[in-house]
Amino acid sequence: MKKLIFLLPLLLLSFPADASADSTIRTVTDASGAPLFTFCGDLNTGDEYISENNTLYRIQSVHDTNAIAACIGPEAMPDVSFLELGQTQPVFASTEVSAKNAKTTDKKDDQRKLIAMYVTHSDESYIPTDGTESKDGHGGIYDVARKFRDNLQAQGVDVILDESTHLPHDAGAYRRSRQTAERLLQKRPDAIIDIHRDGIPDEGEYEKQLDGKQASRIRLLVGKSNQNSAVNREFAKQLKAVADKQYPGLIKDIFIGKGNYNQDLSPNAILLEFGTHTITKDRVLASTELMADVVSTTLYGPQTGSAKAEAPKQEQKKNSSSMTGIVILIVAAVIGILIFALAQTGGSGMKNKITRGISEMTGGLMGKKPHKDN
Amino acid sequence: MSIGMIILVALALLILFGVMERVLDRMALTDKQALILVAAVFIGGLLPDLALGPVTINPGGALIPIGVCIYLFFHAGTNKERGRALLSALLTAASVYAIGRFFPAEPETMPFDPLILYGLCGGLIAWILGRSRRSAFIAGILGVTLADVMTSIMLWTRGIQQTLHLGSAGALDAMVISGLTAVLLCELFGEIMERIASKSSSDAPLKGGNHA
Repeated sequence: MKKLIFLLPLLLLSFPADASADSTIRTVTDASGAPLFTFCGDLNTGDEYISENNTLYRIQSVHDTNAIAACIGPEAMPDVSFLELGQTQPVFASTEVSAKNAKTTDKKDDQRKLIAMYVTHSDESYIPTDGTESKDGHGGIYDVARKFRDNLQAQGVDVILDESTHLPHDAGAYRRSRQTAERLLQKRPDAIIDIHRDGIPDEGEYEKQLDGKQASRIRLLVGKSNQNSAVNREFAKQLKAVADKQYPGLIKDIFIGKGNYNQDLSPNAILLEFGTHTITKDRVLASTELMADVVSTTLYGPQTGSAKAEAPKQEQKKNSSSMTGIVILIVAAVIGILIFALAQTGGSGMKNKITRGISEMTGGLMGKKPHKDN
Repeated sequence: MSIGMIILVALALLILFGVMERVLDRMALTDKQALILVAAVFIGGLLPDLALGPVTINPGGALIPIGVCIYLFFHAGTNKERGRALLSALLTAASVYAIGRFFPAEPETMPFDPLILYGLCGGLIAWILGRSRRSAFIAGILGVTLADVMTSIMLWTRGIQQTLHLGSAGALDAMVISGLTAVLLCELFGEIMERIASKSSSDAPLKGGNHA
């Protein structure tokens, strides 16, 4: 066994550096075989997908090159009728904001508009423009992030774009970018966005004429494996609902899959897939302007007062989703502690130890009093 | 509050309730020392990072856990245990590095959260090599740190100036999770195996390595 322990890391080290880069491309179809979408990466039974027309599908079976999803039915989307009542101009617009000034806290918290952005997969690039799909360093995806930042700033939103790299593009990338995300969250942004691009080869899934421009569509990605999942999903649905009103077709779909994507860190965390590696970066840059408008409107509402009236309703829903996550986390922690305590002390020993601990903590008011000789 | 900080609070409660008593005994730490360390990691984690060229070091997330590793290393019972602890840390670092390269890059394709997997690796390696909680803690903490150092050195040699963050916010999560997972796995494994062994041969003395 010990020899195996020595050999295993050496064996793993012998794998090529880009071993993890080989991603599977799968076509997902409905039960009748009609194609729904293509996905780069592994799919899991139970993963969910909200289509462009807001129909919810759930993955039922996964095969080598395809997967089958069951149609669950129409997904209830947030009410964004307030958009029709007023202009989509942010309430506290200020066009003279730069990224450097984003740190300023002159504005009161309720007047401040701050969004944080970072790039987990630093190498991601666009073949037709960057000449490669993966750059060793700052990839073309940073141009997209910068343009998105500029467009948000033009909407009067303060933006902190952290241009740290998190190389290599491997299983540790999200752990490295977690440090960046946590640093950004110390500034208490209203939302934190991880900028990506997709890896599917079919450019047709993303290329689209939007608002009279040759643009790219965007996929929203939500991770299921975290306590914020429900509220992250609500945030994604709000973005899509606003986009569907303002720029129909801009949001391709919402994929809700296994994984964390560092979205446990904030209820307003989202991963945006700006196009795929086979389309031109110009198309993607054009989309950043539309998406900046969508994000700004979703978070800060239109100029008229109706959005403000809407905000408390959304907050209530978010709070209830967050509470569900917290309850699940507490139940999991209690189960873990009980298993651990049981393994350590046995059934009766565990009870004695915990009641004695409670007694000591409460000065003998609660629990079993400790023996004097203990 | 990050997951690492939440775990530290839970750990402090476990220590206060006396649940961690045996583990701490085996790690040559008293309840009071453990609580002071947890508080130091917590408060240190809130302090700004110290910048040293391309490396930043957080007092709570890196200096204190590494300091504890050094303390545990020198308080190991024998030279053999020290050797095993060092070996466990190196093998865990190699495994963490290899997991990064070998595992799929997208979270949806990962069978486990890598943060947990690093700790499981450290715990399993330390348990197999020496059945030692001290080694498990050292392997869990140093394994992740050394793997990060290794990755950064490889990037720097390729001319990519990427800052190495030791112990800052997200890294603290990884260190706390992997260090504790390693110890808990070792403890659970050890206790279950010992209980099975003692039930199957109640008169016979227990065999195996030292139970530090």
